[in-house]
Amino acid sequence: MRTRKNKGAYYVVSLIILIILALLFLFPLYWIVTGAFKTGAEINSVTPVWWPTEWVTNNFEKLFSKRSAPLFEIGSLTGPVVPGAIRWLVNTVFMAVVAMVLTCITASMAGYALAKKRFTGRHILFTLIVCAMALPKQVILIPLIREMSTLGLYDKIWAVIFPTVGWPFGVFLMKQFSEGVPGEILEAARIDGASEARTFSSIVVPIIKPGIGALAIFTFINSWNDYFMQLIMLSSSSKLTISLGIATMQAENSTDFGIIMAGAALAALPIIIVFLIFQKYFTQGITMGAVKG
Amino acid sequence: MKKLLAVLLALAMVLSLAACGTKKEEPAPVAEPTSITLWTYPIGNWGDEASVKALTDAFTAETGVVVNVEYLSYTDGDDKVNTALTANQAPDLIMEGPERLVANWGAAGYMVDLSDLVDAEDRAQLNPAAFAACETADGKVYEYPLVMTAHCMGINYDAFVEAGADQYVDIENHTWTTEGFFKAVEALNAKFGDNVAAVYCGGQGGDQGTRAIVNNLYGGTFTSADHTSYTWDSAENVKAISELYNTKGITFDPAIVGGDEINLFRQGVLKMAFCWNIAQQLNTDNNDAGLTNDGQRIEFMSFPSETGASQLCGGIWGFGIFNNGDEAKIAAAKQFITYMCDSAHTAEAVKTANYFAVRSTAGGTDISNVWADNEIMNEYNVLMQYLGDYYQVTKGWAAARTAWWNMLQAVGAGTDVQTAVSQFAAEANAAAK
Amino acid sequence: MKQTNKPSMSRVLRRRETFSAYLFLLPSLIFFIGFVIIPMVLCLYTSFFDSKLNANTPDVFVGFANYVELWRDPVFKKALVNTLVIVVVSVPTVAAFSLWVASAIYKMKDWMLSAFRCIFYLPVVTGSVAVTVVWKWMYNNYYGIFNYVLKGVGAIDNNINWLGNPSTALWCIIIILFTTSVGQPIVLYVSALGNVDASLVEAANVDGANNLQSFWKVKWPSIMPTTLYIIVITTINSFQCFALIQLLTSGGPNNATQTVMYYIYYTAFKLYRFGYGNAMGIILAIFIAVLSAFQFWLAKEK
Repeated sequence: MRTRKNKGAYYVVSLIILIILALLFLFPLYWIVTGAFKTGAEINSVTPVWWPTEWVTNNFEKLFSKRSAPLFEIGSLTGPVVPGAIRWLVNTVFMAVVAMVLTCITASMAGYALAKKRFTGRHILFTLIVCAMALPKQVILIPLIREMSTLGLYDKIWAVIFPTVGWPFGVFLMKQFSEGVPGEILEAARIDGASEARTFSSIVVPIIKPGIGALAIFTFINSWNDYFMQLIMLSSSSKLTISLGIATMQAENSTDFGIIMAGAALAALPIIIVFLIFQKYFTQGITMGAVKG
Repeated sequence: MKKLLAVLLALAMVLSLAACGTKKEEPAPVAEPTSITLWTYPIGNWGDEASVKALTDAFTAETGVVVNVEYLSYTDGDDKVNTALTANQAPDLIMEGPERLVANWGAAGYMVDLSDLVDAEDRAQLNPAAFAACETADGKVYEYPLVMTAHCMGINYDAFVEAGADQYVDIENHTWTTEGFFKAVEALNAKFGDNVAAVYCGGQGGDQGTRAIVNNLYGGTFTSADHTSYTWDSAENVKAISELYNTKGITFDPAIVGGDEINLFRQGVLKMAFCWNIAQQLNTDNNDAGLTNDGQRIEFMSFPSETGASQLCGGIWGFGIFNNGDEAKIAAAKQFITYMCDSAHTAEAVKTANYFAVRSTAGGTDISNVWADNEIMNEYNVLMQYLGDYYQVTKGWAAARTAWWNMLQAVGAGTDVQTAVSQFAAEANAAAK
Repeated sequence: MKQTNKPSMSRVLRRRETFSAYLFLLPSLIFFIGFVIIPMVLCLYTSFFDSKLNANTPDVFVGFANYVELWRDPVFKKALVNTLVIVVVSVPTVAAFSLWVASAIYKMKDWMLSAFRCIFYLPVVTGSVAVTVVWKWMYNNYYGIFNYVLKGVGAIDNNINWLGNPSTALWCIIIILFTTSVGQPIVLYVSALGNVDASLVEAANVDGANNLQSFWKVKWPSIMPTTLYIIVITTINSFQCFALIQLLTSGGPNNATQTVMYYIYYTAFKLYRFGYGNAMGIILAIFIAVLSAFQFWLAKEK
């Protein structure tokens, strides 16, 4: 009886703490969304204005009128001219999706080879991967800029995507998942005369699918938030990402927080909506993988 | 086996290069008309797409040269230019001041000498002080100046009146003395509490304001007169920094930069701003020009000094050309400079910048009356006589200004003033060699 | 992680295996070598030169001079210590906090569980730049919410300049990093705890183990792989604090939030010293390589 009572008290206390923490975690988003619709006076008010007394859209109007760019540029084909912020959103989505897809493909192939094949150079390669996987990109800041310039990729979204794909954490993760593929199945496939490619695509991939899901989410969010690479590699206003665009909106002598809040809301809402819709998939993806780690 | 590895690695590299190589060809189609890129900092409305587009469209219509404009911010603009230089992808044209164009990128050998654009007539017309800042000792011109201003202070005049501090300012002439300044701070502090003014030092944004207040209080200088060394470790400056640090109501704040200070000033939190100039006085983002967000009256002021006759920090803005090795583009960029700075169109370019022209005649057109109908601009002219030495072209400028705000942070964190000043000034002087 | 290694693999088979392995590795290696290893080698090379952002002065070979200078640079030492503090503080706290949250919510009703999970994940998906803008306002000395609230309830008399005070600034950064890091670990732990074999827990309880005991004896070992994964991703995350520092403090006040990652950038683009910056990069890379190898070794031991 006593333990039950204690348990109840513990439950209530932890629930209260959780709710307070939850409010703190919710606060930035709440502040961004309400701030985006506040008037200049309310945003600049010295005492916090908790809720807009009047919802206005002129922060978005200002944001949209500040820069303009074509919606997309593929070769010589250019889209209609839209506000810069919309283009930045398109750029960001493109960047994150391509980085995600490329990373998943390359990393799952490499991870499988590392886990299941005994080949020369395996140990060296794996050691290299482990050592490099937590490396922050600032380390190779200068050589990377020069290299991208030599390759003609500077100020192109690819300059942000390629190093993300090259980062070896994905390979490490997929190697850990691929360890779980039973050797007997692979042996059986080989005896049946299945080609390497076929073995991989029809036997290995289905087994490591949860791992791929985990990697996809990790890469997508990391690349979306990788402000640093975007900062050093992109310069034209039509090539910017939404994070970079918001950061650039601050003029020297007057920071218009209204515009920044509107930009932040624009940057945050799409990915949050995606997250809410695919919440189940998101959480499942991450989960099942890690358990097998 | 090692050989096999090496071969495979080499193969991987070749493939990756090839993959990138094919992509490289894409943007190759040569545009028939010459096109140049201009990167501009937010200098008045030169940071506003619509205003700049009107100017560049007119230029394109007349010359056929297409101008692609990118807008930099002061927060990360320098870094962007520096990354672009590292990548050999600098823009053709850049709009900023001599502290960057001459002292920085010019000294590092990235700029084109523009002396062929400046003939004897131009030399006669251009403001001598402004042009001197754009020309190096050996006669190379890395910036063609367009506009200039004197950086000053802003005060919340209504708050001054309320605290009885208005007696310390000569509002007619917009000047005050060191003694008056400290008395005013004391009165404001007694009335409004701690936040009278902030020595902002979070970064280089608006740092001319902190330099000007320190230098002027007791007649110190930032550099030697010949611009060969940094002199901010002199007794006058040390005294000024100590006084500011010890005065109640003035905080050394490493969490803000000039732009934040202006916001706080407009919000009525701070009663004076060290980062101010005519563009700020004319700003109408949140209220009419010359008013805080709550409608209190803002007056621009010269920095306080013992005599009242201060040395104001100049702001000079104009264009420079990065040497990208393409003669056609350099020629087009020069055409652009002449169009904006030395022609009948200069008046428009000046108006867009919201500052004073560096010359009274441009391309045979009289532009002395550009601001004739603007009362505030006319009144602001009283400060232009105090325009001091443009020392921002001293060698090692980028490192020196960094050392400056690092020094202020150290002082703010409680380091002994003399120690901090000596240490960081030594860093600055090391960079000046 | 174990796999029976056929000891007597024939040479031919091994060669075939090696060839096919490298075919699988090829796409990944192109990117890894092209955009990590090659820049790393160039970085090492340039670190032996006095290389500046300057078109007039050629690079001068200086041997280990940059490294010697680093050894004597008090700012670099400070940066290294701060970097270490950030990692050492945030990794265990993130792991412990998310484990606590997860164990508190994993048995809740579905809608509550998913609400909490969602809320703690929000800062991750909101984006670091957007979140940082709000935190900057919250920490503001003059009208930020922390000072407003603390003053309102009478906890403090004078405003605290959270980001401007050398003794609080680094903690402010760590807190933001913390809120943007716990999302994934919580999700991971919730499902890991949900997957713990219920019969084992029951058996332990029957044996008279109390909650804490059954946690350590049964649950902790079975969520160990998750914990290890969380430690790895949190470490990676902690090294990604560049944006926070660049946007909030630029390494200040008085280098209180200086990290090696930001100091490299600062050296390169504020002081224009490429060689020196690269030398810093190499030291950081060695530092992190050792840390990662150690973590991996630890993981393998378990």
